[in-house]
Amino acid sequence: MSTYILRRLGQGIPQLFIISIILFMLMQAFGDPVATLGARTPTKQADKERLRRMLGLDQPAYVQYLTWLVGNDWRKMDLDGDGTPETYGQRRGILRGDWGNSLVTRRPVLEMIGDRLPNTLILMITAEVVIITSSLAIGLYSALRPYSLFDNLITGLSFVGYSMPVFWLALMLMYIFAVNFRRWGLPYLPTVGMFDPEVGKTPAELIKHMILPVTTLAIISIAGYSRFVRSSVLEVLSQDYIRTARAKGVRSFQVVLRHALPNAALPFITLIGLDIPFLLAGAVVTERIFAWPGMGRLFIDHTARADFPVLMGILILISIAVVIFQIITDVIYSFVDPRIRLG
Amino acid sequence: MKRNLYLLLSLVVSASIILAACGGAVPATEPPAAEPPANESGASAFSGTATITFTQEPDNLNPLYTTMFFSGITRDFWLKALWSFDENNQPVPELAAEIPSAENGGVSADGKTLTIKLREDINWSDGTPITADDFVFTYEMIMSDKNIVQTRYPYEDYVESVEAQDPQTIVVHFKEPFAAWLTNIFSGSPSAGQGVLPKHVLQPVFDAEGTIDNAEWNKAPTVGAGPFVFSEWESGSHIIFKANPNWSTPPKLEQIFIRIVPDDAAQEAAIIAGDTDIGVFLSSDQIEKLEAGGNVKVVAVASGYTEGWYPNVNPETAHPAMLDVNVRKAIALATDRFTIVKDLLDESINPVSASFWDNNPPYNSDLKPYPYDPEEAKRLLDAAGWVDSNGDGTRDKDGVELVLRYITNDRELRKNVQAVVTQQWSLVGIGADLQNYSSDMYFNGYNDNGPQAQGLYDIAEYSDVGSFPDPESSSDWLCDQISSADNPDGLNWQGYCNPKMDELLKEQATTLDTAKRIDFYKQIQQLMYDEVIFIGMWKDPDLWSVNSRLQNVTLSGASPFWNAQEWETAQ
Amino acid sequence: MADTVSTTLSKETIIKPPSSAPLSPLRLGVRRFRRHRMAMIGLGLLLLLILYISFGGFVSRGYCSPIKQNVSGEAWANCNDTSLKLNPPSASHIFGTDVIGRDIFARTIYGGQISVLIGISAAVVEVILGAVIGSLAAYYGGWVDSVLMRFTEAMLNIPSLFLLIIGAHFFSGGLPTFNFFGRELTGSVIVIILIIGVTSWMYLARIVRANVLSLRERDYISAARALGASDGRIIFLHLLPNTIAPLIVSATLGVANAILAEAYVSFLGLGVQGATATWGNMLDGAYQYLDTAPWLWFFPGTMILLTVLGINFVGDGLRDALDPYSTRHL
Repeated sequence: MSTYILRRLGQGIPQLFIISIILFMLMQAFGDPVATLGARTPTKQADKERLRRMLGLDQPAYVQYLTWLVGNDWRKMDLDGDGTPETYGQRRGILRGDWGNSLVTRRPVLEMIGDRLPNTLILMITAEVVIITSSLAIGLYSALRPYSLFDNLITGLSFVGYSMPVFWLALMLMYIFAVNFRRWGLPYLPTVGMFDPEVGKTPAELIKHMILPVTTLAIISIAGYSRFVRSSVLEVLSQDYIRTARAKGVRSFQVVLRHALPNAALPFITLIGLDIPFLLAGAVVTERIFAWPGMGRLFIDHTARADFPVLMGILILISIAVVIFQIITDVIYSFVDPRIRLG
Repeated sequence: MKRNLYLLLSLVVSASIILAACGGAVPATEPPAAEPPANESGASAFSGTATITFTQEPDNLNPLYTTMFFSGITRDFWLKALWSFDENNQPVPELAAEIPSAENGGVSADGKTLTIKLREDINWSDGTPITADDFVFTYEMIMSDKNIVQTRYPYEDYVESVEAQDPQTIVVHFKEPFAAWLTNIFSGSPSAGQGVLPKHVLQPVFDAEGTIDNAEWNKAPTVGAGPFVFSEWESGSHIIFKANPNWSTPPKLEQIFIRIVPDDAAQEAAIIAGDTDIGVFLSSDQIEKLEAGGNVKVVAVASGYTEGWYPNVNPETAHPAMLDVNVRKAIALATDRFTIVKDLLDESINPVSASFWDNNPPYNSDLKPYPYDPEEAKRLLDAAGWVDSNGDGTRDKDGVELVLRYITNDRELRKNVQAVVTQQWSLVGIGADLQNYSSDMYFNGYNDNGPQAQGLYDIAEYSDVGSFPDPESSSDWLCDQISSADNPDGLNWQGYCNPKMDELLKEQATTLDTAKRIDFYKQIQQLMYDEVIFIGMWKDPDLWSVNSRLQNVTLSGASPFWNAQEWETAQ
Repeated sequence: MADTVSTTLSKETIIKPPSSAPLSPLRLGVRRFRRHRMAMIGLGLLLLLILYISFGGFVSRGYCSPIKQNVSGEAWANCNDTSLKLNPPSASHIFGTDVIGRDIFARTIYGGQISVLIGISAAVVEVILGAVIGSLAAYYGGWVDSVLMRFTEAMLNIPSLFLLIIGAHFFSGGLPTFNFFGRELTGSVIVIILIIGVTSWMYLARIVRANVLSLRERDYISAARALGASDGRIIFLHLLPNTIAPLIVSATLGVANAILAEAYVSFLGLGVQGATATWGNMLDGAYQYLDTAPWLWFFPGTMILLTVLGINFVGDGLRDALDPYSTRHL
């Protein structure tokens, strides 16, 4: 078991390197972070050059990559533009724990990610819990009563939910439950943000403000997952051992819960396991519409400004999470399914 | 097994909720200097929260490092300037004891020296007195080449020196009389570089680090000078300012809560639902929806902006037709701006404009907008030699088709206007090649592939203003400001060069006598009108929404939140 | 009694035994497909939609008062009469008018042409990329496989939004307008197709690789190699055709995803530029009027919904029909 984990971790590292190189190359196509700094009166050319030198953007791409990787405090940089390097850099590189500073806010990347990560986590984890439990319940029920009215209704609704653009659904929900319910005198939900300034940042406020974004995310995902669970359960229910259990007189309920569901859940676990790392990426559109200050917004705001330290930081974080969760999923798999042996 | 999983998951969820509820904000590095004074009953003297939505998050709160509108307007809360501007855009002294003028000796006879007297009773929020040294320090920081500030305007080109004659008197020496000083010397305008820095906080930082580029104060300015004090800034979520009881005019509210809401439709929903008290940058087609509930009022505030068309007349890059003033005139006559304004906007708020300064009294002209006259347009084009010789629907001459590159950024309203204009132009035989650029590219300079700077257009549409409330905007039309590979910083993107215009622009810049200046602007505007260098679309005031829950809100164009100390909540 | 028995007996002797010839996989597949009720509904929906966008243009016509002419076809879709803006459905404009007075019915037709074009083209790009990369990786194995698969995994790890935005920056930059079946389309349509295609081939590559790996060792492949067939021939003429099932299913669902992706990309502002309508950018333009002018989003939204629904139903049916391991009982 531990050799397996170590081996997978070892495989993960070159994977991370490759990802980081690909990302870095792609980001060169982005354009110049310094160019987007000017507003209506663009910053003077000389000032932009100075800023570029200070941020290390005047170096060729591979040098910038190496700086990001191992820092530049061991070599001199030319900060005043006279052609001779004279100052030591200040970066230690990500391999030594320095994730860099944002080109836009000049704050450390880890700090910026740290600010947003809890917000994203509480939104996405809550949404994921809702999605998992609902998908299992709905998928299971549909599989037990295939082609019934319920099943067809849910299938139809799933497809509708699955085909809906998320921005449209989000705004629709906001209008119905926040704006119109309030207008009609019904108990209403808040429109945007994480909490009400007059009340403060209490757990009750967070929950109240989470309801609409979580519902939006849930509707879109439950559609796909419940179908998956349904077909998975149907496949398992047609297996011989289920028929045997029934023939032996085990109650239907027991059969489903103790035999069918665990076996059907296996591919479901894989699916969830593959998706969990992307929870860190947040939900860009949902966060934007509900003004939820999460990772998704951080990502898209800084993409527009070509702020590659922040983008690289977020993407490497996600990649690390992918590697870790792949391992976790495999381990859980091996516990749940005794036939699987990791080696 | 499953039960443990669920238990684990719920633990994680609860832990995250608690985590998020506790942390996440950039804490103030120093606690606010004073607690709100308790009155006899022990309760705070301030009450109520005003919620404002911003559709963009400021990048930096230090005025030297940002040009963002959303950063500048917060300074009315926490970093007052020498003077701000009221709802009629008249200056109101804040830190200054009075507005300098020729009468009170503040402005010297030759116009090259400005003497500003500060009030005696002003203190930073930590109790330190505000003195002229702070202003001199700010000037030094702007001019220092160790700081990469956004702009050195106007100090670099127009100011000789800034000195503190005594703790209460600042003296500014100009190289030439500088007409636009009221807006640009430590004023309450939200543009870049306007504001005073606390010397006692930032000088040590400058001495220690060699620059103030990365000072903590830039992100968490806990020492400020205004009715409110910075309290917290949670990235992506909100910025909070709390009441400053030690200010000379303490506020009535307890806190200002600024919420970042990037999505326009979500902001609209929040305004209607009453989740925000002040909303920003609305458009006239939203007014009916917003005011339907009865407790929201939409206020149009003239801030000098005018939406207009800027023809490219640079002989190196322009379409040959555009170099002919009659063709430009024909384009103006062929565009029915009146119907556009009537149908797509609100005529009373956005009337068709004639000149760049229509929304900037008293410098506006009494010119009438070009009329809508497609027949005359056709006549002008025929006379200029542009006829449809090959029957393809668009005119041509010498083998060149009259198809104009009409560019703008990607705002929905502008895209719609482009579509309507294309149809209008087709009636007179002008073709349109529509292009849209993202806002960060659209205004880029020559070396950053800015489409306007590089002349890759024929008609560019956007909304612009001078140095409101000052009309100063000369660099857009000066001959030596034409942008090119040799002059990448040039701001004259239209490539317009007329010695007469140069002369007028240079004269008005050094004329301190308002009446004379108004006269110069009449001539400038007449010249632009005759040469069709600017085709006015509509006046573009800022549209704010105010919820009736928040009272005494009087918004101004130049410094919107100037009277924030008067605001109170109806309870 | 005797009569009944004899009648029954005679009936039985008249009835012919069913044909004993085995059905080809294709016929079997078609038969299974036809028995899948939802798939048939989906197919019907799609056929109706194709008819709508192909021939609806003949019905779209009207008097465009700003230019004082009767126009038809695409010119009618572009006719904007701002005095008629935001009108609810009526006799002259059966789906209502949009923000600048254009007829929504006509725009859903011409917009649909672009959206479906984007959907199908993006799916084609996706299938080509996925099939080629997957089969090359499986066929050559070794370091080719390693490199290609690491690359695929890396692309999978990158959030698709990021790829979309990067793609938009990378590919944009004045692609010229081109003519497609009589319509002038901006280069940004090609950009969108490429972007969506390039960000969605990864899943297919993995599936194709898995299939080709299992087919690679079959006897007929070794035989072909022994006979001297070139690698290209083997891959394209023998291996790929035998993995056609996942390719078809993937392509079908890829069209649906591409149509939804186009709406998403339009919302982010990276969609088709200019005045060209697509269902996606019609939805994006309707965003501000969710409450006040529901016809702006209802019609393009319903079109997207029905198209994606139809494709998903058909895809479901195809998966059942073509997948020999499926145990679904109908």
